[in-house]
Amino acid sequence: MNIRWDAVVNPAAVEARRLPPSLPQSAIDGNGNCIRVRVQLFGALAALSRQQSVELTLPAGVTIADVIAILGDRLGEAFTTHVIDARGTKHRHCRLFVAGYPIEDVQTPLTLTMELTEIDVILLIAPEGG
Amino acid sequence: MNAFSRREFKLVPESALHEDVWVPSSCALCYGTCSILAHRSDGTVIKIEGNPDSAVGKGRLCGKGVSGIMTHYDPNRLRYPMRRTNPKKGLYEDPGWKRISWTEALDEIAEVLRKVRADDPRKLVVQRTTTVTASRVPLHAFATAFGTPNFSVSGGGQHCGNGAHLISGIMHASWSVVPDFEYCNYAIFFGASKGHSAGHASCSNMGKAADARVRGMKMVVVDPLCNFAAAKATEWVPLRVGTDAALALGMCNVIVNEIGVFDGPYLQAKTNAPYLIGPDKLYVRHPESKIPLVWDATTGSARPFNEVPAANVALEGEFTVDGVACHPAFHCLREHLRKFSPAWAERVSDVPAATVRRLAKEFATEARIGSTIVVDGVTLPYRPVAAIAFRGAQGHKNSLYNFYAIDLLNHLVGAADVVGGCLGFNPTSHGHPETGKVRYIPAAGPDGLMVVGSWMGYHYPYPPAEPRLPKNLGLQDLFVVGMTSPFLDSTDREEMWEKFDVPYRPEVMINFGANLVMSIANKDAVAESLSKYKFIVSFDLFLTETSNFVDIVLPDCSYLQSLDARSNFPFIFSLPGGLGEWCWPIRQPVLQPDGEQRQFAEVLLNLADRVGFRADLNAAYNAWLDLQPPYRLMGDNRYSYEDISDRELKNNFGEQRGLDWFKQNGIIKWKKKPEEVYWRPFVDVRVPIYWEFLKPIGEKIATIAGPRGLKIPLEYYDPLPNFLPCRSHCCNKVGFDFYGFYYRDVVHTNSFTMENPWLDEAARLDPFSYAIAMNRAEAGKRGFADGQKVWVESESGRRVKGRLKLTEGIHPEGLGFAAMCGHWTDGQPVAKGKGVFYNDLLDLDWEHASPVNINLDLCVKVRITPAEDAP
Repeated sequence: MNIRWDAVVNPAAVEARRLPPSLPQSAIDGNGNCIRVRVQLFGALAALSRQQSVELTLPAGVTIADVIAILGDRLGEAFTTHVIDARGTKHRHCRLFVAGYPIEDVQTPLTLTMELTEIDVILLIAPEGG
Repeated sequence: MNAFSRREFKLVPESALHEDVWVPSSCALCYGTCSILAHRSDGTVIKIEGNPDSAVGKGRLCGKGVSGIMTHYDPNRLRYPMRRTNPKKGLYEDPGWKRISWTEALDEIAEVLRKVRADDPRKLVVQRTTTVTASRVPLHAFATAFGTPNFSVSGGGQHCGNGAHLISGIMHASWSVVPDFEYCNYAIFFGASKGHSAGHASCSNMGKAADARVRGMKMVVVDPLCNFAAAKATEWVPLRVGTDAALALGMCNVIVNEIGVFDGPYLQAKTNAPYLIGPDKLYVRHPESKIPLVWDATTGSARPFNEVPAANVALEGEFTVDGVACHPAFHCLREHLRKFSPAWAERVSDVPAATVRRLAKEFATEARIGSTIVVDGVTLPYRPVAAIAFRGAQGHKNSLYNFYAIDLLNHLVGAADVVGGCLGFNPTSHGHPETGKVRYIPAAGPDGLMVVGSWMGYHYPYPPAEPRLPKNLGLQDLFVVGMTSPFLDSTDREEMWEKFDVPYRPEVMINFGANLVMSIANKDAVAESLSKYKFIVSFDLFLTETSNFVDIVLPDCSYLQSLDARSNFPFIFSLPGGLGEWCWPIRQPVLQPDGEQRQFAEVLLNLADRVGFRADLNAAYNAWLDLQPPYRLMGDNRYSYEDISDRELKNNFGEQRGLDWFKQNGIIKWKKKPEEVYWRPFVDVRVPIYWEFLKPIGEKIATIAGPRGLKIPLEYYDPLPNFLPCRSHCCNKVGFDFYGFYYRDVVHTNSFTMENPWLDEAARLDPFSYAIAMNRAEAGKRGFADGQKVWVESESGRRVKGRLKLTEGIHPEGLGFAAMCGHWTDGQPVAKGKGVFYNDLLDLDWEHASPVNINLDLCVKVRITPAEDAP
């Protein structure tokens, strides 16, 4: 008897996906309407953008993608193309941390807190050449 | 009474008179990185053994590992920084080394780095040897922080990875593959030595392979040479060099078209076999969602693949969707395979058609398609066959299709990451039971195809990046299927960079331990490339042939003097696959530095401080090591490498298990679960038996490269595998009758270990290590004698001299060279003049690289002529 592959085991019985990261809340302004973040750019991204740190005050409900779009407007298209692809997906070799926690999905919303939130963005080496 | 009478002394307990300890650490004589115990007595290491507590080796250690003591104590080790005084650089130019202080060295290096970073950081190339696996993160972090994308692993990758690791990644979510030795009953090795000599998890695999042989596993070794694996195999199948794909495709054809055996349920549920393919060779997609369609046999309609139960999808037949005729990918594959008859396979590979049929039948029958087995209380698919490939099938212009074709054997019978089958090295980890780290699981990416959960870097094999006008010196941002590149050093590199308007040129190199002059191709090409650099700094144990092009050489610590918090991570690289234990060993200093030696990782931190990018380097370490609060490196704080290692260990294993805990214990380990080892049924991902994504990539590359005068041969980008000949197969020059190739020797690691006197002695006792293996009958026909000195000349006129060793154990057309010998530097007197420098025969240019994965062709058509006896 040829037992079906998808009948041999129950995938749902085994935790098989990454757990979404639990994000700390982001900073709000004094009125509780806006989020304050400081984006730090490292390595090639800093050289490319000619800026290592950018502080932004953003409306509540923004996502990481919104932050990238705003930075793209300020720092130029080269910044955007190094961080996300044409479909808006973050390049794998671009690592992005919110308050020290890694974020893969740029649609992740920033949430509210009283403190300034640090966002670190860095481009890692994509391939090993040579 | 004597003034020194014993009665006048208070006796010191013997235990305090001398030290006698066994220190747990990690080997670094090859990238296998087996766990060791170093026996230190009164400050001297007197013996090295395997660590029986560790899953990495389980107490076994190879000849290289036990000989490491001689590499460490070699009197030719570098002990202080040196600067060249002769500005002229060349293969045989004496650099005129002059001792300098560390302060002088670091000041000068920092000044150079500061200038180039301000000018254009991409002008820095960072290069490392792959022998020390743990060097990856410190050097990657440094390059990342500096801002250069140009990273090289010297000959590594070009010689062992662009085909092997690409296919292992796409099909098994791992760096390499291995039979499930515990349960496999029938393994075919195509040019692979997993379990028989060096390489990933080498000592562990040697034990597992030996146990499997005792258990009765049949092992067939397909290789031009009756090598270390073949010598222990049930059967050796010699084939013509570089024709592995032909044999594998012939076997695939027999399996699906002659025997008609394949694992339909696996193909339906776990591959893209049911995806409909249109006449343009692309998926037929839903008009709005663009999701690939399958044919739902129950409703008689085309539907998105993720909406149809796997059991209902069609694998064969012709269907019409929106007026267009289309077929399931498996149907296309089956038809495609028909042209690869056993007779055709025999003509190409020289393996008799009857053998092709027999091997295919044995493989398919032994797969026991449809069977299950209970492991640790879990019922799992059971397919006790595996087809494995590595360096032999890899070292060719056609390596992608070689591997694709070989791995298809596994997927046709469902023997992929299930009990007894072909396993990736640990593609799925649920993490340590207490912390949940390090956790990774393959996931479904675009079109439902598998994206690896863990990788050696961030150049994931799937989905491939979008080809673009290249900005990297290696051109991998154009040739996106490739991982490592020949174009940093190729003879046509300048032409390529001009063609693609690469806006800068390399000026400065930081080299860690790589001997590039010997490790990628012919020395003249590499010498010309290295001589163009304005400044090279190199961390080394010894002076090498490459040192002649270096401006400042820095004395590195050996592995017995070094610290690495992750000597065997990623787990997909060199932790044994299959059941057993997860194991995280560290490497720790057993001895203090001698003279002014310093560990490279600490020096790189110092340089970042001097140049002024410590904050970037801290951020890069955070990213590479995935450090999370409270263990992240903050701001531009000056952490030592010990601090960083401590934080990484605590980040992964809890506050109580930092560096001190690991120094005491050496390793941490925990049991693997069946659903981690045999993960395939548990994870909802598919792998491509039809590489649809290749075609548009090839067309996009051609669109960019064509107008710039570089023709891309699109036959390399066909979605289904073919046999494509290497240049050597097309050589018709009179007298060039042999295919030169090199193979890994069990007693040597690349070009590194020839200086070790114990290993040199073993190699001199081995009749093959320093010789050229030639078929005895062929030699007889041509009048060559055993031990005779000969010139071996390539089609392009390059030649090397060596001594013949005649044997029946090599294909009549093959000429086998062991390891990477033939050193000529005075810095390594033991190695000097031993063996043959095979790489000197290799051309290094676009014509000798794969147009798809830019893998260098390592086989050469050669002729042999007698040489005089003089050395």
